[in-house]
Amino acid sequence: MSYLIMEGISKYFPRNQVQANRNVNLVVKKNEIHAIIGENGAGKSTLMKILYGLVRPDKGRIILNGKEVSIHSPMDANRLGIGMVHQHFRLIREFTVAENVVLGMEPKKNCLFFNRDKSVRDVRSVIEKYGFNINSESRVSDLTVGQMQQVEIVKMLYREADLLILDEPTSVLTEQEISRFFDNIRELKNRGKTFIIITHKLDEVKKISDRVTVMRGGEVVAVKETENVDQKELTKLMVGKSVLFKLKKYPASPGAVVLELKNVSLKLKRQEQPLLDNINLKVRAGEIVGVAGVGGNGLGELENVVSGLFKASEGEILFRGENIAGISASKFREKELGYVPADRLNRGSCLDSTVRENMIITKHHDFLKAGVFSQKKISVFVDNLSKSYSITGDTSAPIGTLSGGNIQKVILARELATGAELIIFAEPTWGLDVASSEFVYENILKLKRNGIAVLLISSNLDEIMNLADRIVVMYRGRITGRFLNDRSISKALIGEYMMGIRNDFN
Amino acid sequence: MNESGYYFPVIHNAVGIMTPFLLAAIGGLFTELTGMLNIALEGLMLTGAFFSVIFAASTGSLFLGVLFGIVITMFVALIFGLISLYLKADIFISGLATNLLASGLTVVLAFKIFGNKGVILFKNLPELPSLNIPFLQKIPLFGDIFIGHNIFVYLSWLIVIIAAVVIYKTPFGMRLRGTGYNPQAITALGLKPRNYQLAAILISGFTCGIAGAVLTLNLGAFVPNITSGRGWIALVAIYLGNKNPFGIVIASFVFGFSESFSNYAQGATKIPADFILAFPYIITVIAMIGYSIWKYYKENRKIS
Repeated sequence: MSYLIMEGISKYFPRNQVQANRNVNLVVKKNEIHAIIGENGAGKSTLMKILYGLVRPDKGRIILNGKEVSIHSPMDANRLGIGMVHQHFRLIREFTVAENVVLGMEPKKNCLFFNRDKSVRDVRSVIEKYGFNINSESRVSDLTVGQMQQVEIVKMLYREADLLILDEPTSVLTEQEISRFFDNIRELKNRGKTFIIITHKLDEVKKISDRVTVMRGGEVVAVKETENVDQKELTKLMVGKSVLFKLKKYPASPGAVVLELKNVSLKLKRQEQPLLDNINLKVRAGEIVGVAGVGGNGLGELENVVSGLFKASEGEILFRGENIAGISASKFREKELGYVPADRLNRGSCLDSTVRENMIITKHHDFLKAGVFSQKKISVFVDNLSKSYSITGDTSAPIGTLSGGNIQKVILARELATGAELIIFAEPTWGLDVASSEFVYENILKLKRNGIAVLLISSNLDEIMNLADRIVVMYRGRITGRFLNDRSISKALIGEYMMGIRNDFN
Repeated sequence: MNESGYYFPVIHNAVGIMTPFLLAAIGGLFTELTGMLNIALEGLMLTGAFFSVIFAASTGSLFLGVLFGIVITMFVALIFGLISLYLKADIFISGLATNLLASGLTVVLAFKIFGNKGVILFKNLPELPSLNIPFLQKIPLFGDIFIGHNIFVYLSWLIVIIAAVVIYKTPFGMRLRGTGYNPQAITALGLKPRNYQLAAILISGFTCGIAGAVLTLNLGAFVPNITSGRGWIALVAIYLGNKNPFGIVIASFVFGFSESFSNYAQGATKIPADFILAFPYIITVIAMIGYSIWKYYKENRKIS
């Protein structure tokens, strides 16, 4: 029984010259959870935007419940019972939950006025019916990220969606929120809903989906029953070539201490729980120290404090013995420090500026000649960088036109080129595809070989276990465990420290 | 008590003077809520001022004069909106163009029609109806505020109430505010933010048309650039009123009062006239600085 058939879908984007979908076929059965996986740029999102009426296909047809349908706008999709939850939420933070949910389909009073009471009642009944955990009268800005996602789903259920498209639903959630989210999905499935879930995370595909469609380069390369495939096979299908899961690690030969955090704490005004609580940490030359933790447990704050964006309330941050706690960004840049931030789109790059400008931005004074930029000097530098980090394409195009992976390459190239002695990486592969991640990993390992100190802050445990020489685990702003990364430790053990089940320093 | 028959003539006059500020600011509130800084208020007001007095004089009817004034102002607003929203011109530039167009066009047309680039007096204009209840107007404050004004003053209050209802009590108002807060959320629901923005610009054309009519019909004359910055002050009133219809009433009163006070002070005090004439503008600057400081502290409190 096929519920949805997308047949021969093709879409070409002339502006960036990308064939996003090429003759794609997708079949979704009634009441299944169907995962679509693929690297960045594989065409998953485009396919779903076509289904939701946000993008018009060049070719192909959509058959729903045995009837051919044409979907010109999200309103058409809603009418046909299709709902979509975007990766980046489309909510109005200033409105209440109920207002967000009914917006566009508001219940009326006297044919003219917005019926607030009815909307609160209706939304509450949807929330209760499906077992969500939000108050329909709360303001969205007061909710957690997990609750905001629930609002998005409720919004679609209010529109009586039977088929829900979820675009990377877990990318913004903490571990606890993810398990709760899966419970919600299973409950909805029991009540007859059908799901299409777009994701990168293979373990989640295994955990939640019934069937999986694999896309690569705008085409469908495989459709599988989830229970018949393992993660290795899926990865192989996704990337199209065998990936080195085991990175070539070199034994560390640590030298002098480059970075030392001494009793660093961060506390906001009028807040009981400190965001960082007495952190002590050393990073030596030629070693990678990984800081692991679940999102929301202080990793972001550690990044901000070490990179100088927040001033620690207490403690010292010593870079080669000199206290750099709370120095300005420009002072930070004068030192031999590199920083690859987690927020690569806002903090790591200026999206409207060209690739070229982004490459020189941190050291642009070095390219001045009589107070004016020497284009020749810049070109030499940029060409060199592009060659050594295989950055293809026009460097005079705005960096925002590049894919996430390529933006990260540019940032990496820039930070590594300046001869830093310490480089701070925060979530370096978040949202990147396998090939780009691999590129990042190789470069981090290369740094270590060259005797540079690396602080790797990441909520991706696989990443930490693959790269780090020493692992520090954080939970609720505190360090709960310290390990030498050898064969004796397991992912499960670190996980217990990350979840606060174990703590060596209580 | 004095010969005018009002207890506080300064306040009474302020209520009359604030009307054009109030009307323009209420229209501007709609565009502001959809996320646009509408600097064309000044030009739209001037358009309304010119055409309403001309049509009122030529038809002999106040109603027709105001109606034509509104229609033409809304037409100018439509062009401004289409250029900004559908042809994607920068709204600041197209707004500036609207202001320059209105300022030039009205003078050119006045010269073409009346052969005069200066003040044009209309002698046969019908008089504005006003509410006169002698025994009530003597009540301190109540009489000053509520009695003895012309019809536009009461119309502007009605418009404020209607605006508040539309903004806060109708689906249209909700979508309008949603557009300003997060246009992507509106798009994701299959609605078109541009449509709400265009509607808001048309509404601002409507209220600015009336605001302009107030100026010229009250005076019985057209003076080149008669708006003299009132559209800009209305823009300030939107922020000072915290983007809320009733806040805007208070902000408009502050500006009306400062102008009324400067009129009064010119006759009654020895303060230099130049300073007194600058008083409303000085108040504007002070109000804006005060508002910014207040806003700064309010937001900082939220963060820490």
